[in-house]
Amino acid sequence: MTRTALSNGLGSCPRCQKINKMHSEKQQCSRCAHWFYSRKPNSLQHTMAWTVTALVLFIPANIYPMMTLHTFGKTEASTILQGIATFIQTGHYPIAFIIFMASFIIPLGKIIGLFFLVYHVKHRSNMSLKRQSHLFHIVENIGPWSMLDVFVVVVMASVVNLGFISNIEVSLGASYFALMVIATLMAAHSFDSRLLWDNNNKKEQTHE
Amino acid sequence: MTASLPTDTLAACQRCDTLVNLPKLSNHQKALCPCCNTVLHSPKKHTLDKTFAISFAGLLLLIPATVMPLMGIYAAGQYNQASLFTCIVLLANEGFYFIAFCVFIFAIAVPAVRLFTAFYLTFCLKYTSKKPHLIVFFRSYHLLNNWAMIHVFFLGIIVSLYKLVDIADIAIGTGITSIILLLMCSTMLSITLDHRFIWQQLEQIND
Repeated sequence: MTRTALSNGLGSCPRCQKINKMHSEKQQCSRCAHWFYSRKPNSLQHTMAWTVTALVLFIPANIYPMMTLHTFGKTEASTILQGIATFIQTGHYPIAFIIFMASFIIPLGKIIGLFFLVYHVKHRSNMSLKRQSHLFHIVENIGPWSMLDVFVVVVMASVVNLGFISNIEVSLGASYFALMVIATLMAAHSFDSRLLWDNNNKKEQTHE
Repeated sequence: MTASLPTDTLAACQRCDTLVNLPKLSNHQKALCPCCNTVLHSPKKHTLDKTFAISFAGLLLLIPATVMPLMGIYAAGQYNQASLFTCIVLLANEGFYFIAFCVFIFAIAVPAVRLFTAFYLTFCLKYTSKKPHLIVFFRSYHLLNNWAMIHVFFLGIIVSLYKLVDIADIAIGTGITSIILLLMCSTMLSITLDHRFIWQQLEQIND
């Protein structure tokens, strides 16, 4: 049985990591005066809410065009997937791969990974704890990369701004996409990874 | 039982809540969580001097990185260039306030606040008396840790360069160099900053 701060009536401040004695559920850190709980309250509900939000926003982010290209009076709007298809057609495979990873695989992977982790906190699982913890570490750290396509569109739109000859405009899809990325970041932020280990400790106790 | 535990040498893993008695570490040593291998503490050599120098350099670079042009484009006798700042202005003018806000926060504001916090903290700890409000500053540093996206913005510039090279003639601006250097500074900051050491220094203010 591992010795946790919670089982000793202690809690570590999430901001300054100082160990405090928990006099009540909510405690003010004696060093940095930050109010904190020993476990984030309603962590799973918050995570689920943000994850579902992200999943819903993923749909308009892919349906609406990210940018609109005007060349000599011709207008052409392209979504993320159309943009990737153009790269494959012109033979830019590495760039197509990077964009596909950043704007498709990473957000979807994050959403699926978080659903998976919440499920594992609620129910028993065969997956080892180290792997679950590793999964959360990945989910937490890859998040910002999905912002890539928004930044690409922003830079393109401000550089290609030559009036009638050629002009790129940001479109509605980019807003939804940015919102979706923020929702996935918030989801990972509200998940308390200590719950995974708590579950395991409880299981060990019942075995003993 | 809990009353006898010395809370100063104890540390709890942020990831799995395992309570560990931290041994005295010398430089280049690391304390790992026995349960999930997360780094609990790694003391850094000359943390104040290094952080001071790097955050100062980063603050200076912030200005050219935002104002200098990132790249320019030639097409049909016309020339247009854009900097990070003009990106945001253009987006706001076109009515995409939310994206303009996102770019401003993630690519300029968060890195700027982090650099300024680190600079101000190390400056005060090195040269002036320790003031209680420094604690608030350092707390905000921890809050913003996950929201800096300069590295993603940099990759975004590279990808759009790659995209535009086929279409038109491209001139690379000094803004890109500044952003690369700024990115290096903001990454170095997380390597040189010894959080536990600085928090212990700040704790003495309260006592």
